[in-house]
This record gives sequence, C-alpha cells and structure tokens, in this order.
Amino acid sequence: MSQRITIDPVTRIEGHLKIEIEVENGKVKDAWSSGTMARGFEALLQGRDPRDAPFVTSRFCGVCYSVHQYCSCRALDEAFGATVPWGGTLLRNLAMGAMYIYDHILHFYQLSALDYIDIMAIAKYDGKDPALQAVKEKVVALVQAGDTSPFTPRYQPDDWCVRDPETVTTAVKHYIDALQINAKARNMGAIFGGRTPHYQSLVVGGCTQYPDINMVAKYRTMLDEIAAFVRDVYIPDVLHFGTGPLWPLAEMGLGGGHHRYLSYGSFEKDPAGTNLVFKPGVVRKLNLGGYEVESLDAGKITESVEHAWYRAAAPQHPYDGEQVFDLDRSGAYSFIKAPRYDGQAYEVGPLARTIVAQHPKLLELVQQGARPGVVARHAARALETQAMVDACYHWLDLLTREMTRSDFRIHDTAHWDPPESGQGAGFFEAPRGALGHWIRIENGEIANYQAVVPSTWNASPRDEKGVRGQYEEALIGAPIPDPENPINAVRIIRSFDPCLACAIHLIDPQTNQLRRFVVE
Amino acid sequence: MIETGKRRESAEQIAERNGIPRRDFLKICGAVAATFGLAQSTVVEQVARALSPGGAKPPVIWLEGQDCAGCTVSFAGSLNPPATQILLDRISLRYHETVMAAAGHQAEKAYHDTVKQGGYVLVVEGSVPGADDRFCMVGGRPFREILEEAAASAAAIIAVGACATYGGIPAATPSLGLGLDRALAGKTVINLPTCPVHVEHLVGTVLYFLTTAQVPALDDYGRPVAYYRTLIHDNCNRRGAYENGQFLTDWNDPAQKEWCLLEKGCKGPFTYSDCPIRKWNDGINYCIDCGAGCMGCSEPDFYDGMSPLFE
Repeated sequence: MSQRITIDPVTRIEGHLKIEIEVENGKVKDAWSSGTMARGFEALLQGRDPRDAPFVTSRFCGVCYSVHQYCSCRALDEAFGATVPWGGTLLRNLAMGAMYIYDHILHFYQLSALDYIDIMAIAKYDGKDPALQAVKEKVVALVQAGDTSPFTPRYQPDDWCVRDPETVTTAVKHYIDALQINAKARNMGAIFGGRTPHYQSLVVGGCTQYPDINMVAKYRTMLDEIAAFVRDVYIPDVLHFGTGPLWPLAEMGLGGGHHRYLSYGSFEKDPAGTNLVFKPGVVRKLNLGGYEVESLDAGKITESVEHAWYRAAAPQHPYDGEQVFDLDRSGAYSFIKAPRYDGQAYEVGPLARTIVAQHPKLLELVQQGARPGVVARHAARALETQAMVDACYHWLDLLTREMTRSDFRIHDTAHWDPPESGQGAGFFEAPRGALGHWIRIENGEIANYQAVVPSTWNASPRDEKGVRGQYEEALIGAPIPDPENPINAVRIIRSFDPCLACAIHLIDPQTNQLRRFVVE
Repeated sequence: MIETGKRRESAEQIAERNGIPRRDFLKICGAVAATFGLAQSTVVEQVARALSPGGAKPPVIWLEGQDCAGCTVSFAGSLNPPATQILLDRISLRYHETVMAAAGHQAEKAYHDTVKQGGYVLVVEGSVPGADDRFCMVGGRPFREILEEAAASAAAIIAVGACATYGGIPAATPSLGLGLDRALAGKTVINLPTCPVHVEHLVGTVLYFLTTAQVPALDDYGRPVAYYRTLIHDNCNRRGAYENGQFLTDWNDPAQKEWCLLEKGCKGPFTYSDCPIRKWNDGINYCIDCGAGCMGCSEPDFYDGMSPLFE
C-alpha cells in the first residue's frame, strides 16, 4: 500500500514550498514539488526604465541577494552595448564574493545542520572546554525553562543523526559563531556593494562605488577573519560530518537524482575572462571511474511547457519563449517551466560546478566510495567557499594594482542612457546554480524580461517525455521508514538550498488545482 | 542595583554575565536612550533586564508573506546585541519559516498553539496579495487568513520592510501586494519600512517594546518618529555639494566622488529616514555613500512612486 505525505511548509529554505511524496514499502515511489507564492516581477518590469531592472530583480531573493542584480546588469551591459571596465568587474566580484561566502556558510549551519544532529544530546556533554560548557548551559537553561523554540518541535532524530555529545555541542557552538561570521561577511560585501541585503552600487556599465585604499584595507582585514573561520571551522566540520557519521548517507548516494550536471561558469579572474572561478561545462553522463566534460552550447537550452500551465508549444529557447497561460491544460501541475539542455534534465548548483570542474578533492571522496547526492552537495559547497575566499584575495590584489593606474575606471559612462532598442542575455553562476536573464528593449523601455533561475532547473516539473525534475527525481528511492517522520525528504530538498521566491505558482486552496489567471 | 535572586548586581554586571562587555552594553543603552529621547541613566537597568534571560520569554511569531527573506537576513546581521542572544535569551521564536527546526504539520502546530496562547509579538515580512489569495498560500491556507488570525491575539504588530508596511515592489505587480496599512486597516502597526528593514530599527524597536511595553511614538505613516523624522537630504553628507551646485555625472572621476547624486536620480529630497546618520551594515556604508543614491525605500509610495529610480 502506498501512502501520500504532504510537507507544507518546507521550512529553512528561501520561499514557500510544498512537497508531496508517495511512499511505498518505506521508500519514496513518486514525488511532486510546488511553490506556493508568486509576485509577478517580470510583468512589473514591462514598460519601465531598463536601469530599474537590476534593483528590482535583486528582490527576487533576499538570501542570495543581488545575484539577480549582477545577472541583470550583465544582460543590460549587452543590451546597452556597455563595456564594463576591469575595475568595475573587480568591484562587482568582490561584493558578490562576500555574498557567496556568507550564503554557503548559512546553508550548512543555519538551514541544514539541524537535520543531522540530535540537539538534545548537548545535555550529556561532560567535557571541560569552557566554550562548549557555556553552550551546554545555554541549552540546558532553555530546556529547564520549558521553552526550546526555535529548536523544537522537530522531526525525531533518526539512525543517521549524530548523537555524540561533544560533536553536537561543537556543532551548535559553530551554529552560533557562524551567524556572527555571516553578518561580518555581509558587512564586508557592503564596502563595495553599498549595503546589504540587496546591494545598491551594481548598475549597468559597472559599479558606482569609487574605491579607496582604506576600503581595500578594511575588506582585507574582515576577509582574514572570515577566511580563518572557513579554513578552521566550516571545512573541517563538513569533512568531519561527511566522512564520519554521515558517510553511510554519502555511500548510499541519498538524493542523487539524474546525475547530469551543468554550469554556465562565471567570475573572471583576469580581464580577458579566460580564467574563471567556476568553469562552464556539461557532464552528460557521470561515470565515476572517469567522465567527459563537454563544452556548453547555450543554444541547446530549451524550456518545455508540457506539464506547465502555458499554451502548448514545442520546447523553445528562452529568447523565443512565450508566457501565454493556459491554466486549464490537462496534465499540467506547475507554473515552473522545465528547462532542458539538449532535451535532458540537469542539476545545477555547487555539486554540478564541482563535478564539471573535476575538483580533485571531490574525485578523491568518490574514489573512497562517496556517491553524488545530499552529502556531496554539502562537501561541494564547502570546497567552493574556499575557492571563493581565494578569489577574493586575488581580486583585492588586482584592485590594489588597478587603482594605481592613471586611467583607472569603474563604469562605462558613455553607455548609461538606455538605447532606443536592443536585447541582451546575462549568464551567471549563483550560489544555487546556473542563472540567466534575458531582456528586450523597445522605445527605450523594457519590452520583455525573462529569468531562468537555478531553482527552475532543479525544481522543474516533468517535461514532454515525462522525465521528472531534479528535486522530484532526487527523492525517488529515499528511505522513509516512518511516514510521520519524513526527515530524509527534507534533507534531500534542503541539500539543494531551494530558492522558491522566483517560482510562479497559483494553487486553488479548495481543489489544489491551478486556476486561470491572466497577467494584465 | 537590581535584585536577581540571591545576589544583587549592577546593570553592567548583569550584562557582562550575559556575554555583553561593559563597553558594548553602554553603547546599546546610549543608542536606546538617544533614539527615544530618554535619559541614559533611566534606561540602563531596563536595558539590562531586557537583555538578560530570566522568567518566561515573550513569544514571537514571524510571518512571511510575499517576501524575499531579505528582512530576515537583515535581522540575522545584528551584532550589538548579537542575533543569537536575542533569539535564545530574549525572545521565544515560536514560528519563523526560514529559521525554525520544524517543518510541515509540526510547524503549523507550533503556530496554532502560540496563537491560542495569545500575547505574542507579531512580526510580519512581505506583502499580502490583493489580487487573489492564491498568490500566497502557506500550509494550504491563504496568507491573508493566517495574518488576520495572528493579528487578532497579538500584543504588538511590527511590519518590517517596504512590502509588509505599504506594499513595496509587489504593490506594482499583477498580484497587487498590500502592506499591513491596508491588509490590517484600523490596527495599530509599528511600521519599519526600507527595503530591507534596517536591523537597528528593528532591534531598537523590539528592545523598546520589551523594555517599556509601549508602542513608540509613531508618525502619520506608523513609523517610529525616532528613526524616520528627518529628511535624508537634510542630513546628507553631500548636502554641501548640492548647495555648491556640484552634481555627479561620471562615476570614474575621483574629483566628483563626493558630489550630489541628484542628477543620478537620488530620492533623498523626498525620503524620511535616518540612513545618513546611522548608515548601514554597522556603519560601513549606505546607498548615498556608495555613489548610487537613495531609492526612497522608506516612503509609502515606494516603488511605483519612485520609478524610474535613476532619473
């Protein structure tokens, strides 16, 4: 007998998400995911001054704030014919690098860690470390006062939860420390971004923050403290958990999914853009003994609307895509289109980037028996946080040198005014994966604006061949021994770091069916 | 001196015992006193109490409607006092989708139990869809319904960010996002606009309420007078350039980097907030200092009334 379980809301993610799973013989047999909030930003942008777009699209998400701002600037750069001076790119990257570092640390500690530890094990800590004793006292005081919010209620810890008192107490201490480090990383980003969340200084043509040597020094001092946390705390924690108590989940490859990976690549390390922090590429077939990375051809990206509430159409490239709603369409169950590369479903995000880059540390873990899935996603995030810390130091050095040039520039002022007409595409690797913005300008105003976001790739519905999206596929086969306690389902979903705010869904509260809605 | 069980200790000692160094403690007291026009000596003990655990912690429900979680992230950036200290020692955060351990029906139960109990502080982030309830559903229910239910038994309601106060950007979308000024018309709501909320505006207001059990003095738009009484233009450090007729036209020119941003669309002359004095991110920077200009995000007609932003 199969049983249908609904988890609504899925918490500790960005946005409003509902997950439904069908469980049979203790395993997930089928799965559906739905975003349950929409605003309609693309419609808002039509007819606006194109320069509003980076500011407005930043508000798609306030957790990975400003990735849309950055990507939107890139689309506008192309549409305006602007050439961003190298100084402007360095400032944009330093702002964005700070956001990346905070966002990955936040995901591990604040959004995920509680799924892997039994926090009440702290009461049994009997070690002598004064810092850990202080954490114990704090939590015990909460328990004694009978109020352990927001750590309870929770799903019951299962066989894969860590219960060792010292490990758990250390993890909770790091949860607290991480919140402070994250705040400092965001403040560091504000040096060149203006303020956070949501930067102000990233505009078409470059960046508005003219830097001085004090800003560089301040950024470097703050980066030193954050880099030490990444090196001494975050990465060791992820490796300790991943190769220790969570190793069985790693070997099992829980939450693996389609095993196809895609990265647009981004973050130039030189003016020519030949050297990137994240390489572009496509892994069509993952053979753990050795696999090929193909070069990316953006022309092969299409979106299927077969199971989405849009007018029937063959899969189309985003530039040619239309948004004509057909909410009565049979077989449809989502407003998210299904992006496909060369007709196939792909995973995007840290694991995809790390596999595309053939990161030696990841390959080493694979050699030892780890399979791509939940644990590998956490490991990939940690590895690329280190890469981003290194890149920030690199960019700081380059900026310091660049600032001494007499022709130092941060903005293409000649292309500040919107063109009469034009179009542009911006590609970017956001923390959650491949992000694309497309803009078309007519009469100096926005005629059309489209964004295909990472969570669209990962959270997509089935396509015209009936192939599931990556979230749905990753849930298949997951052990759910107790239907009242579907902790593995939320582990899998959270491992993708979902960002649902950009999804467009309308669900009837009575029938759970989508209803007609026309964007005026 | 404050009586705490067997011992008598000074306010500073209590703060120290709770992990707040004396210097930081006095800084917080000074900020609270200055902000709300009180003598520092009168707030020291109250602030020490507000910052110290003991007794039942006031319950808090934080609802997210049509939001981006940016105000949540802004709150998490509190360094003085640290966000974890507020979360673990000062308040009992019963429901917050982005923070809480629970999911699904357990999360829903925590919410319902707290609403039944009543007397909580309700914080709202994000707008309420005015076009159709189905634009924002949580736990299978319209967000509007949840909000109205939670507002009925709240001790105080704080709207954080542009969306929850007056509708913000969602107000200009087809979903017609409403702020609490319309979604909860007639209720007293403390409005803390800006996009996102300024962490010090939020923490200061919460501390003020926990300390005095009073709603701070509000202006005609429900904003605490203490934070929103001054025009950005009047306190702008580029005001001198404005008076001299120096307007920035090229971001590459170091000679212009402190010039007035009016020609780049700065909304400082129509926007009320203490941003130029307080700045953002622990005083590191803010919209005008970074050369982009003010976008008017603390005003009721943001975003539609401020667009185009750069003209």
